[in-house]
Amino acid sequence: MIEKPHHIPARLGLLSATAADPFLTEDLLKGVQGHAGIDLAKVVEPLPEEDPRWDVEPLRDLVDDAMYQFKENRTEADGWLAPRLHATLRLTRREAADRRIWTHLALAVAPDYVAWRHGPAPAQDRNMRINPARFKGAADRQCFSRLWWAAEMFRNGEDYGPVVTACSNQDLIHNALRMDLIDHRPTAQALVRILERGVASTGREINGLLVAISTAGATLVYDALAPDEPRDPEPLRAWIEEAESAPPVPRHTLPVGPDEERVPEASVAALADYLVGLFETAPIRGRTPQP
Amino acid sequence: MKFYPYKRLNRPISLRVTSASLKLPDGTREHLDTSAYSVPQRTVALGVAQRDDWISARIGLSATLPPGATDPDAPWSDLRVLAVLTDGDTNVRTTVDLRQDAPDSKEWAGDIEVLRDDHVGRATLAVHAVATIDDVPGRSITETDADWAVDTVAEEPLGGLTLDVKQASFSKSTREWLRPYSDAPWVIDASGRVPLVMVNTDVEGFSDLLGGNSGGVESKVQELLLAQMATDVWTAVFHSALGDLEVEPDGSPVFPTDWRGEVLREMLPDVVPGLRAEEALRQVHRRRTGDAGWVELQTRVHYAAVRRASASKAVANALRALQQMNREDSA
Amino acid sequence: MEAGEEFGPWLARQLKIAGKTQAELAEELGLTRAAVSAWITKRSVPRATVMGEIAKALGTDLSTVHTRTTDTQAGLPVTWYHRPGYLDGGRDGGNAAAFAFDADVQVLARETCQNSLDERLVENGRPVRVRYTIHELTGEALEAFRAAILWDRLQPHYLAVSESAADQKVGRVVDAGVRDMFEKGRLILLRVDDYNASGLTGDDYDDGKFAAVVRRQLESLKSGRAAGGSYGLGKATLWATSALGMVLINSTLSVPHEGRTERRVIGRLELPWRVVDGQAWAGPAWLGRPDPETPNAEVVRSWWADEETVERLHLTRESDEPGTSFLIVGAHDVASLAPEKPDAADDENGGDDDGTRDITAMHHRLVEALGRDFWAAMTGGGSKLPLLETSVRTLRNGEVVIPEEKVDPAEAQPSRTRALRAFYEGTTVDRLTQAGQVALRNVPLRLPLTGGRRGTLGTHQGVLLVTEAEEKDAAKSEVHSLRGNRMTIKKSTVHGLPLGVTAFQAVLLLGHAAGESAPFADDAEEFLRAAEPPEHDRWGQTEELTLRWSHSAHHRIAALTAEVNSAVKELVVRPKSAGSQENAKLRKKLTVQRKTTAAPKRAAGSTLPELDGLEARIGAGGEWQITAEVKLPRAEELPAMTPVVLLDVRSGSRPRLDWAELVAVDGCEVEDGVLRFTPRARRAVFRGFTDATSHPVRTELTRLVLELRAGTGE
Repeated sequence: MIEKPHHIPARLGLLSATAADPFLTEDLLKGVQGHAGIDLAKVVEPLPEEDPRWDVEPLRDLVDDAMYQFKENRTEADGWLAPRLHATLRLTRREAADRRIWTHLALAVAPDYVAWRHGPAPAQDRNMRINPARFKGAADRQCFSRLWWAAEMFRNGEDYGPVVTACSNQDLIHNALRMDLIDHRPTAQALVRILERGVASTGREINGLLVAISTAGATLVYDALAPDEPRDPEPLRAWIEEAESAPPVPRHTLPVGPDEERVPEASVAALADYLVGLFETAPIRGRTPQP
Repeated sequence: MKFYPYKRLNRPISLRVTSASLKLPDGTREHLDTSAYSVPQRTVALGVAQRDDWISARIGLSATLPPGATDPDAPWSDLRVLAVLTDGDTNVRTTVDLRQDAPDSKEWAGDIEVLRDDHVGRATLAVHAVATIDDVPGRSITETDADWAVDTVAEEPLGGLTLDVKQASFSKSTREWLRPYSDAPWVIDASGRVPLVMVNTDVEGFSDLLGGNSGGVESKVQELLLAQMATDVWTAVFHSALGDLEVEPDGSPVFPTDWRGEVLREMLPDVVPGLRAEEALRQVHRRRTGDAGWVELQTRVHYAAVRRASASKAVANALRALQQMNREDSA
Repeated sequence: MEAGEEFGPWLARQLKIAGKTQAELAEELGLTRAAVSAWITKRSVPRATVMGEIAKALGTDLSTVHTRTTDTQAGLPVTWYHRPGYLDGGRDGGNAAAFAFDADVQVLARETCQNSLDERLVENGRPVRVRYTIHELTGEALEAFRAAILWDRLQPHYLAVSESAADQKVGRVVDAGVRDMFEKGRLILLRVDDYNASGLTGDDYDDGKFAAVVRRQLESLKSGRAAGGSYGLGKATLWATSALGMVLINSTLSVPHEGRTERRVIGRLELPWRVVDGQAWAGPAWLGRPDPETPNAEVVRSWWADEETVERLHLTRESDEPGTSFLIVGAHDVASLAPEKPDAADDENGGDDDGTRDITAMHHRLVEALGRDFWAAMTGGGSKLPLLETSVRTLRNGEVVIPEEKVDPAEAQPSRTRALRAFYEGTTVDRLTQAGQVALRNVPLRLPLTGGRRGTLGTHQGVLLVTEAEEKDAAKSEVHSLRGNRMTIKKSTVHGLPLGVTAFQAVLLLGHAAGESAPFADDAEEFLRAAEPPEHDRWGQTEELTLRWSHSAHHRIAALTAEVNSAVKELVVRPKSAGSQENAKLRKKLTVQRKTTAAPKRAAGSTLPELDGLEARIGAGGEWQITAEVKLPRAEELPAMTPVVLLDVRSGSRPRLDWAELVAVDGCEVEDGVLRFTPRARRAVFRGFTDATSHPVRTELTRLVLELRAGTGE
């Protein structure tokens, strides 16, 4: 198992995938040997000095806590870490879309967490490699950005509750983040609502539900069925401003997100019923799986 | 070929941007000149203001529905027209209802807000006409066939994809990853949001030559050099674009939606001529991941790159200039 | 009842018409010649009791003598007067001007409207109204009209001209016109009326508007633009538009002539030299009342017609507002026949549909030309009324075919009309921030000193208006330049615009068009008029410009054009920042242009079979039932293809459906879900049903996608 790097940077920076490539050694991907961190620090582009959001310490503390708390069941760490990472690293979507920040976090700050979360399980083949995408890949694959985006897409205003529900189902976040369905907030909340109701729970059911929604979405405009509130940039800006004075995120209760308008309850309720209808009338349901 | 199970309008909605203004931190609004957007290029360039402290932009829209949308005997009801702004980089989706200019009018208008915090580069603007048809509400009966792009950083309203070019001293750059390449005149980084070409200012006079406007042999050398660089870049981006394709469950590759898709659509017709883009991509993907044919394909990839770089013209011009110079010397 | 002319002059003319002397009348009335003379010289008027006697003597009724709004019917009747052949035997071959070019109603529209604008009554500030009426006559209506124009007397002349058709273009045109009337049994009248215009004032023979139009045709042509009043070359287009060379005129005068204003009527015919009944005729002929003052009283002159006569001649005007009506008899529009499709001629011979195609085509071409050429004159705004209003209507035997259509300048030139209106209303802006806005810039025209002296007389400030083009605009991104007459003189494109500039339309107003307060407007107007060739389509080097100013005077216009181009660019082009210029050349080479056409770029001739048709419906069991057609390339061996049926999705991967059934219909065989095509077939058809239980959502909510994949489709 990889240990945490000897040298951990004090501040987050930007690490391009090309610059990171030489450090994604075979030993690292096999979980045998990490890097010391010194050489890596040289190829990182710094972020502005004065911004307190780039302090690494609170983030490092979070992953340490996660590894400790979920050492028996690492997939459950997602639901715990996602809202807390989101509330600690307060980003706009514009900032979060820059993959370099995530690559830096994964490779320089917490490669041990990546290896712990996505490395071969004790029961698995020891020769299996960690997918390099967990360090530097697409937003829905990279170890930390997928959690941040899951929190961003599934939170309901300041309420991270739905994020925990969504992350409790790996199939949901794994597939939903790849589809642009959840860009529509009412759809994301309706999915969580359906999960809570227990209508679809197995991976196969969740996938069937998502495929049904996406297929019907080729001709249906869900925005017309379930309106959302217009986006307001101010609450998020204020929340980011508060980052400097904010205490560390609570470990046992959920943190509080930016004070944005919640998704209209009527939209969520109506859409959840509608989507369940789509799912339950799908002909493929009940068919025995093909060999 | 595609088929809808209900009646639709067979002509698209035409969308025009009619104004753009920025909301500034002090609450005032800066109205941008109409040259901030281009109707033929279907692009709005919010970077024209040359400031990055704006909070949001308001884009005025005007959409014209095709004939038949508002016919009293049309098979739909509850017609609405929605403008939808989407951004694949930031997963943003903003929807607004457009207002009909007058009852039964084909013209609909409205504004959409673009938040600066919500976008890195380009967002896509489309319009859907939505109605209830066969008792199914929320169905799209027609939409824009050509989307508009709202570019939050570009300073010129040009559609299409332009790769990023930057200059730096590789040996002294803060981008330390460049240092190992300090003896190379240029390198390509295809891992970012758009591919980046870094030009090394350590090579003396190189950057002047690239930017120069002098005539004569110098300009021919410049042209040749640009063609060489462009050939390199096109080859590199083609390979990068093909590198990480998503595949459908049945193994077919999916066209990427970002710059990779644009590069592939641009180059595939030269790499695998005579095929539709989807079939061409399938074939190239099969060759790359399969046992055979990848090496043989390289000649065609190179050919596609050379064509894009207009290398043959550059070579011919340089040769002609050299001949002329020799003649003058011997005369 | 309103009294017409004064008694004296009226009586004098009636005597002339009747061929009576004052002495003869005096004798009939039993009065002295001095008494009659006193009436004529307006020294006295006859007593009421004598009026009856005078009426009897002139062969008319009492009320005609009292009202004096018309001439008595005594004397010589209205007839055609043909100008005799020259004594020297010269054959001019008809009025060259009238037949110099092919009949084109769009040219007619341009020239007639221009005349009406020049003749507009300016004092009341109202626009001149020009109305075009296309009227097709057949059957009884045609017979009645032919009788009214005394066709029987003209026929020998037309026959003579037709016989010469073989060697003369004029003859061929006339021959075709006559044959059209008899073989198709129809005649097209095109009437051009203007209201709030001066009318054809002045004497029949002396200088004046009447003589300029009716008498002096060749003369005014020769003397060029400066002479001949407003009716220059343009009036020839009236006769050119008539296949019969015939135009009838009814004018209401703004200034009384012979004490009268209404229903001054005359007709004029333009035919080539001809011999009829052994006598040679020079060419022109006039329909009018013989003038007793001319030798043998043969030459005819205009007459003051009664209401019934103008009615029969289709010359009735809608009100007593001054202006002129021209009736073009046998109107034709050769230019409209210029076929867009080469088979249009067959079409004409084959189905003549309801026979209104010619007149409706003429109608639409008139509307188009009026909008295109006179949008500026027809545009008003703020306190400024338009100078011109135009309309077109089409009738057939008095029944409406196309109702009167007022030409709307905003239809033809939506953005330029908007620009001009904004200028009049004072709603222009300095910079464009919103579609639909109009930006105004002043551009200098430095006027040179006359007589070849160096230096500048003064700087005229032209007004440049720029606005975004509308989709309906035809030619986009052009500058149209106008002066006081509001006609587009110059159309120019702005060169060197970068890629992606949104299409615009610009209007440059110069001279009097630049507004009352523009400095040196009169001088600019004069300068530009001199720089305008007879075609009125540009400003540049002309003889007049060289003579009055200097041979380099036209450089001032070139300098203005440069100013205009840079002002336009300033308004519509984004200034380039330093950053965007860096590495510009390399960036340009590294650009993937956005495809403007949706059609995929493909090399000629596909090498694979392709789908070429898809019919689909949802079956009772919820399955998709598909019939598809495949287009096969010309090849000896055709590759096997797999039809794959998928469902479209919003995003992500598309679910693939299973086939429940796949059957070959034509040109192929189905084997394990793969299509094998019949060698050398060019088309194949297959049918298939999907397995409904493989659908991920109710079928009504799906969008079907059918693809053909090479080989076995994996």
